[in-house]
Amino acid sequence: MITLGHFLAVGAILFGLGLIGFLTRRNLITMFLSAEMMLQGVLLNFLAFGYFHGNLTGQVFALFIITVAACEAGLGLALFLVLYRRGRTLDSSAWQNVREAGLPPTVDVDLFAEPEPEEAMPVLPVAGRKPGAPSLEGANRV
Amino acid sequence: MPNALTNPINQLVLGLVLGLVGVYLLLPQPKRRAVAVGTFLSIAGMGILAVFLLQTLGRPVNSIVGEVLFWLFSTAAVGFGFAMITQRNPGRGAIAFAFVILSTCGLFLLLAAPFIMATTVIIYAGAIIVTFLFLLMLSHVAGPSDENDRSREPLMGSLAGFAFIGLILFTIHQSTLAEASTAVPSAPLTAKDRENLASAVANIDEALKAETFEDFRGPMKKGHDFIGEALGDDSQPLPGSTPPVLARRLRLPKDPRHIELVQSAKKLAKANDEAENKTLLGKDFPAAKEAAANLRSETILFAGHGLMPARNVANLGYTLYSEYILAVEMAGTLLLVATIGAVAIAGRRKGVPA
Amino acid sequence: MFDFSEPIGMLLLALTLPLVGAILAALCGVTKFAKFAHWPTIVSFASSAVVSILLLIEVGHGHEPLSITQELGTWFSVGRISVPLAFSVDPLSVVMLCTVSFIATFIAIFSAGYMHADSGFARYFALMGLFVFAMCLLVTANNFFVLVAGWEGVGVCSYLLVGYYYAKPSAAAAARKAFLVTRLGDVGLILGIFLLWQVGGYHTNFDQLFEHLAKHPPSDATMTTAALLLFCGAVGKSAQLPLYVWLPDAMEGPTPVSALIHAATMVTAGVFLLARCAPVFAASADAQMVVCVIGGLTAFLAAFIALAQNDLKRVLAYSTISQLGFMFMALGAGGAISPRYAVTAAMFHLVTHAFFKALLFLGSGSVMHAMGNVIDMRKFGGLRHLMPTTHATFLIGAAALAGFPLLSGFWSKDAVLYVLKEASESRSPYHNTYTAILALAGLTALLTAFYTFRAYFLTFWGPEKIPHEAHGHAHESPRIMTVPLIVLAVGAAFAGIILEPMTHGFEHFLERSTSIDFAREAFGKHHNLMEKKHGLDWTVMLGSSVIALAGIAFAAKLYLRGGPEVVHPKLEGVYTLSQNKLYVDEVYNVALVKPAELLATTGRQFDGFLDAIARLFSFAPRVLAAVMRPLQNGLVQFYALGMVLGLAVFLTVIVFRSAK
Repeated sequence: MITLGHFLAVGAILFGLGLIGFLTRRNLITMFLSAEMMLQGVLLNFLAFGYFHGNLTGQVFALFIITVAACEAGLGLALFLVLYRRGRTLDSSAWQNVREAGLPPTVDVDLFAEPEPEEAMPVLPVAGRKPGAPSLEGANRV
Repeated sequence: MPNALTNPINQLVLGLVLGLVGVYLLLPQPKRRAVAVGTFLSIAGMGILAVFLLQTLGRPVNSIVGEVLFWLFSTAAVGFGFAMITQRNPGRGAIAFAFVILSTCGLFLLLAAPFIMATTVIIYAGAIIVTFLFLLMLSHVAGPSDENDRSREPLMGSLAGFAFIGLILFTIHQSTLAEASTAVPSAPLTAKDRENLASAVANIDEALKAETFEDFRGPMKKGHDFIGEALGDDSQPLPGSTPPVLARRLRLPKDPRHIELVQSAKKLAKANDEAENKTLLGKDFPAAKEAAANLRSETILFAGHGLMPARNVANLGYTLYSEYILAVEMAGTLLLVATIGAVAIAGRRKGVPA
Repeated sequence: MFDFSEPIGMLLLALTLPLVGAILAALCGVTKFAKFAHWPTIVSFASSAVVSILLLIEVGHGHEPLSITQELGTWFSVGRISVPLAFSVDPLSVVMLCTVSFIATFIAIFSAGYMHADSGFARYFALMGLFVFAMCLLVTANNFFVLVAGWEGVGVCSYLLVGYYYAKPSAAAAARKAFLVTRLGDVGLILGIFLLWQVGGYHTNFDQLFEHLAKHPPSDATMTTAALLLFCGAVGKSAQLPLYVWLPDAMEGPTPVSALIHAATMVTAGVFLLARCAPVFAASADAQMVVCVIGGLTAFLAAFIALAQNDLKRVLAYSTISQLGFMFMALGAGGAISPRYAVTAAMFHLVTHAFFKALLFLGSGSVMHAMGNVIDMRKFGGLRHLMPTTHATFLIGAAALAGFPLLSGFWSKDAVLYVLKEASESRSPYHNTYTAILALAGLTALLTAFYTFRAYFLTFWGPEKIPHEAHGHAHESPRIMTVPLIVLAVGAAFAGIILEPMTHGFEHFLERSTSIDFAREAFGKHHNLMEKKHGLDWTVMLGSSVIALAGIAFAAKLYLRGGPEVVHPKLEGVYTLSQNKLYVDEVYNVALVKPAELLATTGRQFDGFLDAIARLFSFAPRVLAAVMRPLQNGLVQFYALGMVLGLAVFLTVIVFRSAK
């Protein structure tokens, strides 16, 4: 027998993680995928309860959730495309126009850390010659 | 210290706090990101939550295989979930999401929902992720960028998420505590009952194979005994710790879920009496066999209550198109409208520059 | 409607014609006919004058007391007060009506020339029409409240006309001063009216009120109080001590305005009021005493100040104040002799003064017009050849003012001096005071003659000097301005001799008014004195002639050669005191104006403080909003976070409550 509570707990954790991802990440795609993860958690919940009651109601509802998620994905994709065309970026912070009039826009202050300077890899010269050896051409001239 | 840790509430809080700090450290930020520490803390937190679950709720599945599978799939789902929300590269995040889907599908299978598992894999891991990977490839940015390397309110967001998790886990914890006090069992048919009924079916099968009445009578008697034990005799007083007999249990507060069960139990009792009569009479062997066959099917039906039906797809289709037909039609309409809407929104308009 | 051949109809016609003219002039002003705005006014004044004279002729014959009253409905009625719109035809009102409309007509004709090409032409004539309407309302009222309506109306029009050049700060200040100072007097007037209403059986019409007072006379103290309160109003409006300070400043208005309002009509409203309320005054000899004393002091003081003024219009303004003092002296003498003579003498002087003072003001206006709006006598001189008509008419007016024998001023001043003499010889307890006042009046007459001819000689005699503001165009005024001067000069010369000395026609006419009747009754009750019949008193005539000629001669001696003024070293102090108007304005400023300004400033600070408190109330929501506004930063995830956190709080509460 499978108990109910464990599956509910896993569903809750998935839901919570999805919520965190939705609230914090700024990339539109990542936000969307986090929302889908929330839906997965809910799906798990439904199926667990359906199994617990021993009928198919949970699975039916789960099917409808998947349907709605699909619609949402389609429309979301369309909207992201439009936004990307307008703003050339997938950053959700690019769209702040709904703010209170007179409020300055929120800009990021922290600068990114400098990327590590790339180490210069040693470059091999043309094969057959020791690096740093004087050229023979000059030496052959008499 | 150990005493404090065995208190489930403490475990819950500790697990949540560790998870919170871990996620906060893992979220992409320009300054305060600490991947190693964050990973360690997250794993520690989730571990403590697993301990909490075990302590509060007991073993997830009765069989070893089921338990191993459960823990495997759960860990994979949660782990890849963490990975998805904390990955800087959105492409990697999408792949992590694909693995989350696969893990949850494993859990779906454990819950006897193969059709949903298949649908989820097809739609999510198939359609949605592929489409979004295409969009990601369109808008690929090289190097650090605002959208990938910064988080909006990491601390408050993590707090909100973990607050929700904590609330739900606490509610689960509370409901398990409550469960012990009420008399109505969550599953009306206990494992013992099902064992008895399975033995009864085995005996009836044996009886049906018999050629003579004498060979027939013996196993049938055992079958009747088993069925009688499952149904229970409500005239006897209850000993303290054993679960009350089914008859008495079924007479307790009227639960609409149990209506079919009650009707089925009544039918089973009637068939049982009839078969018993025929067997005791010993006159009409074919009639007795017929009654026994009838009893067998009733027993199987009764024993199957609370278990998921076989032939999942067929039953699901049957349920959808009989009870939920309106919802199906509306879902279809929704899909149509969404399709048209998506095309309308994303289509290029004349004169609007790309 | 009304039958205009009936006296009351003619009265109402004469009353409403100026109003119609004012409305038409105002309408002209807002259309493109602004240049012709003078026509409605002049025509309406002229027709009103004609109607008034016809009315005068209509009611002139007969010997019975005359009072025809008409109510045009109720104005308002609250509680015990019921105020009808009542008008009365009565000798007093008819005389005033004739004077006002006749003089206003010629002043309007003069103004048409004087204000030519001024931008507010139509406004001027509209206001003038409105003023004459208000004045006529005042004199024809049979009801205290209608009289007060006219009183306030002339006050407002005076404000608007004195402040005609509203862009000039000094003119605006002068208009404000005029209005506010007369306001002070109006307080007393209103209080007096209410007191009379209360003791007079709650009647508001004059005839009913006086009848009631005659039948049920209240106590002496009440009547004195009422009389003194009414006199307050007269002090304000007629520029007596201590409220005369607005009249010299009111010369900031255009000169015809000064002529009309501050010489002939508005300032005489106070005299008219006392004449109308003669029964009240006749019942109180103490109040009459006060009136006479104030009149005398004012007359002397104003004459003193006029001695050293350099501004021609200021001289005439102080002269007006002085002559008004004469009228009040005459009225005040009614405390000792029959009110019939006192009131008649005052009204006679009023009528003649209207003529010659208007003439003098218009003459100075003519001079100002020619001299390019310069009126300082030090800047021009010797104009008698340049402006002959103005010169001649001004001379007649000056002579009349000085009391030159046989001119109108002589007769009226004599009447005043005569009643004062009678009062001083009466058996009244105050007869010594009246003697003193008589002496003061004589001295004032001397000073009057002196300063009048000083002004005349400085302006018209001596070497010809024209200020550069005249731009070299100094010439005689056009006919539109000189004809009124001539007409008024004729009136100034002959009005007196026709009206009074030989025929006593004025007296006989005026004594038919009910006010004087009631007054005689009241006087008779109080004093039990016989009325003396009087004729020409040669003593007074001779005395006043000598005084006048002496004053003229003295002025001639000093100023015949015109030119810059030379002051005798011994009189230096007197001269400075007189020129600085006895520092009365400065004293008022420190004693009254500054404390009032301080109070106003304090009030404003307090108001600002209350404003700050109100702003404090609005401050809290604004601060709260400013704190909460950054929550709406437009970031969807932030909003979602807010929702989720709020939901978390709710859920926590629910879960923990159900967990108990």
